[in-house]
Amino acid sequence: MSFRLKAYQKWLTMPEPEWQNVHYPKIDFQSISYYSAPKPKQKLASMDEVDPELLRTFEKLGVPMHERAALAGVAVDVIFDSVSVATTYKEKLAEVGIIFCSISEAVQNHPELIQKYLGSVVPVGDNYFAALNSAVFTDGSFCFIPKGVKCPMDLSTYFRINTEGSGQFERTLIIAEEGSSVCYLEGCTAPRFDTNQLHAAVVELIALDNADIKYSTVQNWYAGDENGVGGIYNFVTKRGLAKGVNSRISWTQVETGSAITWKYPSCILRGDNSVGEFYSVAVTNNYQQADTGTKMIHLGKNTRSTIVSKGISAGHSNSSYRGLVRITPTAEGARNYSQCDSMLIGDQCGAHTFPYIQVHNSSAVVEHEASTSKIGEDQLFYFSQRNIDAEEAVSMIINGFCKDVFQQLPMEFAVEATKLLSFKLEGSVG
Amino acid sequence: MIDENSRTILSVQGLRASISGTEILKGIDLTVKSGEIHAIMGLNGSGKSTFAKVLAGHSAYEITGGSIQFEGNDLLKLPPEERARAGLFLAFQYPIEIPGVANTQFLRLAYNTVQTKRGKEELDPLEFDDFVREKMKLLDMKADFLDRSVNEGFSGGEKKRNEILQMALLEPKLSILDETDSGLDIDALKIVANGVNQIANNNNATILVTHYQRLLDYIVPDFVHVMQAGRIVMTGGKELALELETRGYDWVNVDKSVAGIIA
Amino acid sequence: MSDLTNTDYLEYLLKSLSIKSTESLSWLNQLRAQAIDRVSTQKLPTRRDEEWRFTDISPLTHLPYQPSKLECNLHAHDIEHLTLKEAKNRLVFVDGHYSQDLSTISDSAALVIGNLPAFVATHASILESHVGQYVQFDNNVFAALNTAFLRDGALIIVPKDIAISEPIHLLFIATQNEVTSYPRCLLIGEAGSNVTLIEDYVALQQATYITNSVTEISLAANAHAKHIRIQRESAQAFHLANCGVSLAHASNYQSVSISLGSHISRYNLDVRLTDEAAECVIDGLTLISDRQLADTHTCIDHMKPKGTSRQQHKCIVNDAAHAVFNGKIIVRPHAQRTNSSQSSRNLLLSKTAQVDTKPQLEIFADDVKCAHGATVGQLDEEEIFYLESRGLSPEVARNLLTFAFGAEIISRIPVSSLRQQLEQAVLNQTQSS
Repeated sequence: MSFRLKAYQKWLTMPEPEWQNVHYPKIDFQSISYYSAPKPKQKLASMDEVDPELLRTFEKLGVPMHERAALAGVAVDVIFDSVSVATTYKEKLAEVGIIFCSISEAVQNHPELIQKYLGSVVPVGDNYFAALNSAVFTDGSFCFIPKGVKCPMDLSTYFRINTEGSGQFERTLIIAEEGSSVCYLEGCTAPRFDTNQLHAAVVELIALDNADIKYSTVQNWYAGDENGVGGIYNFVTKRGLAKGVNSRISWTQVETGSAITWKYPSCILRGDNSVGEFYSVAVTNNYQQADTGTKMIHLGKNTRSTIVSKGISAGHSNSSYRGLVRITPTAEGARNYSQCDSMLIGDQCGAHTFPYIQVHNSSAVVEHEASTSKIGEDQLFYFSQRNIDAEEAVSMIINGFCKDVFQQLPMEFAVEATKLLSFKLEGSVG
Repeated sequence: MIDENSRTILSVQGLRASISGTEILKGIDLTVKSGEIHAIMGLNGSGKSTFAKVLAGHSAYEITGGSIQFEGNDLLKLPPEERARAGLFLAFQYPIEIPGVANTQFLRLAYNTVQTKRGKEELDPLEFDDFVREKMKLLDMKADFLDRSVNEGFSGGEKKRNEILQMALLEPKLSILDETDSGLDIDALKIVANGVNQIANNNNATILVTHYQRLLDYIVPDFVHVMQAGRIVMTGGKELALELETRGYDWVNVDKSVAGIIA
Repeated sequence: MSDLTNTDYLEYLLKSLSIKSTESLSWLNQLRAQAIDRVSTQKLPTRRDEEWRFTDISPLTHLPYQPSKLECNLHAHDIEHLTLKEAKNRLVFVDGHYSQDLSTISDSAALVIGNLPAFVATHASILESHVGQYVQFDNNVFAALNTAFLRDGALIIVPKDIAISEPIHLLFIATQNEVTSYPRCLLIGEAGSNVTLIEDYVALQQATYITNSVTEISLAANAHAKHIRIQRESAQAFHLANCGVSLAHASNYQSVSISLGSHISRYNLDVRLTDEAAECVIDGLTLISDRQLADTHTCIDHMKPKGTSRQQHKCIVNDAAHAVFNGKIIVRPHAQRTNSSQSSRNLLLSKTAQVDTKPQLEIFADDVKCAHGATVGQLDEEEIFYLESRGLSPEVARNLLTFAFGAEIISRIPVSSLRQQLEQAVLNQTQSS
């Protein structure tokens, strides 16, 4: 595939980024096996054949699957070490014209859509890790919502890296045609290994006129142990193109895992009146590093964007918000509101905020606010006076701190995210 | 203060207004004559503050129906500053802070602009200083208040007093006080009420927009109107405010027929 | 005129430098030598450098700017309009060279004030321990150049527990065309002292030149300083300035910097709170039009606990001008109970005006209160409505609010004659009819 070759050549020419505030040992790219298919290599025909251990993992993570999937009415595509192993509800979705399948199937069955849209939002040479992905991606999810169709159920992809020392390079492409809407959920886990694994995914979203894409992620890749050994390097490129008028792209993420996360789900607001949203909670503990944020590129008239980012750092971890809001000369009447709050638990961690605000149009209104604080003694005192113990109180305060983001998630995801947070920070408050 | 020779200052008929496509005012009728004090009461969200802003000409609201006559002229044709010059004054619920501009500069600029438009003499800084200090006595204000930036760092009470001071300076024919009582302690409330009472006379009129009856203990209205969902649903005398105080706004819903009788 | 490439340009500059052998003190020569060495290993920054991402200074290399010549034909009456009646002490530098005739020193008994070379012998040890300590030149080619060319400069030492009530005026006047001047200031506030310093950059004609200045300020325990900085250079000038401030225990630094002039200007302000309970208040106003570019980079480094910083930076940008603000706040590990706030507010007056703002927080301690905010936009509609409802026309309301936007910063300057001059400048630039 010429797409891959072009990408590989581009990748070889690019320097590895060295960004401030994120430190990671050089990755030996040759030592990562780029494509590790799960051992039982045959295609699984139904959910029943999915490894029961995997299903238990799902249960633990709270990603609704199997019977629960049926109850919750969620269609699930499972990506296991970059290979799509099962897609549920395909037929039911096909009835309304929705294509939901692995990207390898889509390449076979819908080459015209792949050719038209793949790499159209994240070009091959966009960045170091995206180029790498473009060169080596093995599988991923493909989703196409035709004109006027409101997707009747939430679509979901579940990612898992299972093989030690492996890299995962999946690719997701979602296209929402005129007037359609879709809500997409993504869950990620990996068991613990002492070597670092690389996850360099690319997600592309395209929303045409009046289309609405909502993409939610709960990321709990293995974060490494309390000494910072092992864990996933999560270097993901996610970008949505709000191409049509009144289109809308909304990213919600809860990032709790990975040793290092570099992730900036972005929106290019090309259509007039299009809307971009980014809601994020990033929790880091031990020696984790999260550098996350978004880019909102306003091109169209009266485009609107909202950014809500909540960072919680504990242990020796560092969490950064790095965001760009760019109002180009054509974006008449554009508006942005950003709010980035950080909470620090313990005195060995760090929280950083790097907002870039570039305004090249005088009719724009851009507001950015950020604050950093710790859990107040007064708050804890108030809770204890009301007979609530400190651990519980902290959990409640943190959930309150993240509420603006959690309420963007579908119910089941929000409940799990809340649990995940409490679990993650357990014992970090003395 | 209703008397035989009073003339109509404000006449609102079937006024409808919306913001961003949502209709807030759904047909308001109200006539205010000289010498009268009207109170408009209602719960949050009933549209009473919107009504106040629409009268002053806030551009965020779109007028979708009805008319407003101010001393016989079509008020809706005028931009906000011309309404002010014509004698309509709105005391803001949340007065705006303008750091960098001394209060005295601002007051004099507003005063002289309005004076000029009314064909009267401007005052130079010295004359104005004497004039404004006289008015400040009415509101028990300290002198340093003139040198501070407009409303910047003012307490809630100071902001409201500054509003009433502006009202005293601009000598409006119709004053609309939007929740002027909110956030005031009892001493500040008395001072503000005293100022309003001294400014009120047979040639001007006052509309008090308020949530609570409290203010009306000190500024006694001739009429009390109850607003609900963008309409005036009940009108009565000052005793209606007391009735609302004891029985709550729900009572209005229960006994709409009462409304009919009193109105 | 030929474009010189980056390194050629620097080599060219160094060639014009000659160290006089008469300079007796080795530490100063050593410092210069180090600086020269650093210049030769660095390159002029380009937009690829994160710190210069929005500011292209390549126009600087289009002309070979010689060091300014030592020639001053100015008389007292030429600069009368530039003096401030409140200031009893005034040091005047013409194209970077000290002018004794134009300067007025009335407090020489109470404090050390004058041209740096005059004190090099008498105050060697104190100078050695301060000069070059607060503006590092290792990674800063302009600071290195300034230090390499270091000769004249303003020196003020306020002795222990001395408070100087009248402001000290440092007036830097540009007169020559196509030259570079290297102004230098050092303020040492000893323990418990109090002083107000005005650093004032002006031009007598619309010349093209470079000002490359370095200012160093050191405040000992409980010392207070107000630092007013006015950059009103020629509209064709390049102004590149570095200021480093070091704050000891419970010292207090308040700065107001106003940028009005220059074609391209860059001001780096680094404030280090090196001991507990230090405080700083940093205010800035950039008011530019035409094709001006004004870039302000500040870094407030909370190194020790209980420090307080408050910063407000405003830009009013008209025509096709471009304002850049990059404000970093660092809270080091263990700098607990730091309280820091920062606000960047920007007003765009024309369609083609540009603003890039990047307020940054880097926080490594948990018991802190830090907040920053940035806004870019136009005047607030509610504020305009408030003024209109008081009878002001929309134009007057807008003009008043634009004026107020700038005047808020100017009002923090404790020198009334200067305040009036600046308010007038804001009025002239912001009033439309």
